[in-house]
Amino acid sequence: MKKQLLIIPFLLFLLILLAFFYLLMIERNPSSLTSNLLNKSVPKFESESLLKNKNFISSEEFGNEIVLVNFFATWCKPCRDEHEYIKRFSDEKKIRIVGINYKDNSKKASEWLKKLGNPYSDIPIDKNGRIAIDWGVYGIPETFVVNSKGIIKYRHVGPITKKVYRKINSLIRELE
Amino acid sequence: MAPSLGNFALWLSLFFAISQFFVSKSNNLKLIKISVNGLLISSLISFFLLMFSYVVSDFSVLNVFQNSHTTKPLLYKISGVWGNHEGSMLLWILVLTIFNFFIFRLYNKNNFKLLSKTLETQAFITIGFVLFTIITSNPFERINPIPENGLGFNPILQDPALAIHPPLLYIGYVGLSAAFSLSVATLNLNNNEKIPWYTYMKTFVLAAWIFLTIGIALGSIWAYYELGWGGWWFWDPVENASFMPWLLSTALLHSLITVEKRKSLKTWVLLLSILAFLLSVVGTFLVRSGILTSVHTFALDPSRGIYILIFIGILGGYSLILFGIKSKKYFDSNYLTFFSKEGSILINNILMVVVCASVFLGTIYPLLVEIFTNNKISVGEPYYNSTAVPIMIPAILVMGVGPILAWGKEDKSKIFKKILPGILLTLIASLIVFLIYQSYSIIGIAGIILAFWIIFNNIIILFKKIKNLSLGMSIAHLGVGILILGITGSSVWQKEKIATMKINNEIQIENYNIIFEKVNEISGPNYVAIQGNFLVYDKKKNIITQLKPENRFYPITNIFTTEASIHTNLLRDLYIVLGEGDPNVGWVVKIYFNPLVIWIWIGVLIIFLGGVVSINTNLKKLKTLTQ
Amino acid sequence: MKIRKIFIIIFSICMVEYFLNISFAVEPDEILQDAKQELRARNISKNIRCLVCQNQSIDESNAPLAKDLRILIRGKITEGKKDHEIYKFLTDRYGDFILLKPPLKLSTLALWFLPFVFFIIGIAIILSHNKKSR
Repeated sequence: MKKQLLIIPFLLFLLILLAFFYLLMIERNPSSLTSNLLNKSVPKFESESLLKNKNFISSEEFGNEIVLVNFFATWCKPCRDEHEYIKRFSDEKKIRIVGINYKDNSKKASEWLKKLGNPYSDIPIDKNGRIAIDWGVYGIPETFVVNSKGIIKYRHVGPITKKVYRKINSLIRELE
Repeated sequence: MAPSLGNFALWLSLFFAISQFFVSKSNNLKLIKISVNGLLISSLISFFLLMFSYVVSDFSVLNVFQNSHTTKPLLYKISGVWGNHEGSMLLWILVLTIFNFFIFRLYNKNNFKLLSKTLETQAFITIGFVLFTIITSNPFERINPIPENGLGFNPILQDPALAIHPPLLYIGYVGLSAAFSLSVATLNLNNNEKIPWYTYMKTFVLAAWIFLTIGIALGSIWAYYELGWGGWWFWDPVENASFMPWLLSTALLHSLITVEKRKSLKTWVLLLSILAFLLSVVGTFLVRSGILTSVHTFALDPSRGIYILIFIGILGGYSLILFGIKSKKYFDSNYLTFFSKEGSILINNILMVVVCASVFLGTIYPLLVEIFTNNKISVGEPYYNSTAVPIMIPAILVMGVGPILAWGKEDKSKIFKKILPGILLTLIASLIVFLIYQSYSIIGIAGIILAFWIIFNNIIILFKKIKNLSLGMSIAHLGVGILILGITGSSVWQKEKIATMKINNEIQIENYNIIFEKVNEISGPNYVAIQGNFLVYDKKKNIITQLKPENRFYPITNIFTTEASIHTNLLRDLYIVLGEGDPNVGWVVKIYFNPLVIWIWIGVLIIFLGGVVSINTNLKKLKTLTQ
Repeated sequence: MKIRKIFIIIFSICMVEYFLNISFAVEPDEILQDAKQELRARNISKNIRCLVCQNQSIDESNAPLAKDLRILIRGKITEGKKDHEIYKFLTDRYGDFILLKPPLKLSTLALWFLPFVFFIIGIAIILSHNKKSR
């Protein structure tokens, strides 16, 4: 009986080792954090809009078509980097994009959009970061894909790169 | 020139390690000697050549360029060598070869077989790490064109405690490699009573344990003085990685004493020594590979992780299978009684291992959850406080009595008589403390009682000068008691004040009034700073001290840091951190009243001294053995 | 810890520029008047992970998101929300990842019970050794 027990340390070791191997082998992309909001409805919120004179009310804006939600700010460098892709979504793919202006100066944001081009159909303003918390945002930029029923289908943390752009595109095609 | 030579020396280390691996099978002492010395010298050369490149700021070396800067003070240029992954590998190899050398020095006629096998294993470990360095993390890699200046160095890491913290930990980890190799060698040989492999092993484990203890403590000191959060232990994966080997080596050390005195627990010791080293390597390198640090770690090289994992797989697979097959010859039928010294050692051993297993579980559990459920969870301080810490309490209780008990079997009626003075003194002292301070937190009461229990029992031992009792042990245990006192005081009765203060504002914390007198602008060697001047008065309006916390800006790296200013006495630390602000709205100021912190460091120092006394005794024993 | 700090710095440089301000974890303007409520807020904060940091609670972190969460928690407390409601609000949005003390669930069963299983096994080993001596 005792003799067989002596091999237990090795078996435990093997198990742990395999787990570590698996973790190293799989591509653990730190950016594709699963969101707790995945497959749930868009959080309800209402806020001022940067573009329009009337308030942005979430329940009126989602649920008709596929919408991309992008959290951005002028002080965030990676946001500038991904802007080109956001524009391509709007110009080439004709997708409705809601940009949530996170803890930003409205004047600066308007100038920024004038300079770089505005891909957003509407821009609710998140002055104190509460909307971001409702969306479970870690840090900007973050992008969500919302389907035509108002359900969140995908979340990306960090700037959109070429690879991510393609991924979101194929996802949108699937959703359509 | 120097970097190329260094690179060459590194390859030379590989050569000598391989030759040691092969010649240690032969009986040719001369060839073994050449390999061992050659390995030591070549790794010394490569290490010091890298250091030289740092000192002269040779930015043609990628590693120097990435981690150094001409404006850095000399001390931090030197510590920059091991402040990064590649350079620290050279240090790791150097320590490995130094231990290798010491093992070689133990050779005599009787232990030839044992030590040859040990050196063979040691050579294998060295080959693994040298290859790892050359293939995945060569510190001598060059860049062209040569940059004008380096990328600087993280100013938060510019701290004397942190400068020597990694080398000490490495000595600890690598010291455990000697125990590992000895264990593998012992398993390979026949059970030969004439060769006291455990006495050899004990010396290395003691050395490793001393360095681990002091290394961990320095890490905590750095956290306490530099990070400005008023805390010193955070149950961070990186901290856990050093704490787990410490727990196992503590258990190992105590079991080795039992093996020496009673010839029992041999199998257990062989297993523990294997696990302790494996855990050191797993901890150190998996932390680096980024597996454990999950969410936002960018730009980590998975090939390093895979290499080291394969290496750990070979080491662990070989040694543990060997253990599974061959350890049964070391089984003994000497069962232990609870009420004996070895019984209490066994109890403590098991508890230490249980604590270690719990910490390990907490550290890797988020990964397991991620694999199996695709969810993410966090395991933080609250978890450890409710699992690992309670298990330590019985261990500490036992630790108070253990040393007083006799080997073999203790007469139960005598036990009570023996521990009575300790119990009485503990109760009296604890009562006095609580009558004076009138604080009745349960954890506080438990901690203080445990601390006094250990302290008084060991003071009694030290005063009675009981023969056969190791002086080093009593001193080290006394240190543990004092350490617990400090830990309890600082974690249970810490007070904190956060306020916005303008010049001449006053704030009260415990029995002190603190006045914000003025702000100065100062400049250091590679930073500029705002320095606050705070006057601390006691209740009778006597000035106690001036505290000058700083708010530093390092232009090279564009980093702000805060330098806490601390006034320490035997009862408490006053800890002030200066935050942001300006003369109009005032500055954000954070003040901590941290009771008994100094006793944490005193406790560790006493533990360290106890270790040194023990290793001294042990070395004498070794000397008579090897003559 | 070294890695944590390096990480914080890397993060602050890459992602959010205004991280660079030295600011404290809990700042004076956040603190609630009512000491009892403030203590509750601190205790909750100590169990909430700063999501952008490594193994830090929002109580010790100076990240902006941590500050937002601290303010939010205090807001909920003054609104009269109970502790468990606040935890639920946060886990609804950020998942169990935000809790430093993982909740007892099927997936964390082993995490919470194994240490005590280890403990029992340990005791069993000690007892078995003791019995045979008699």
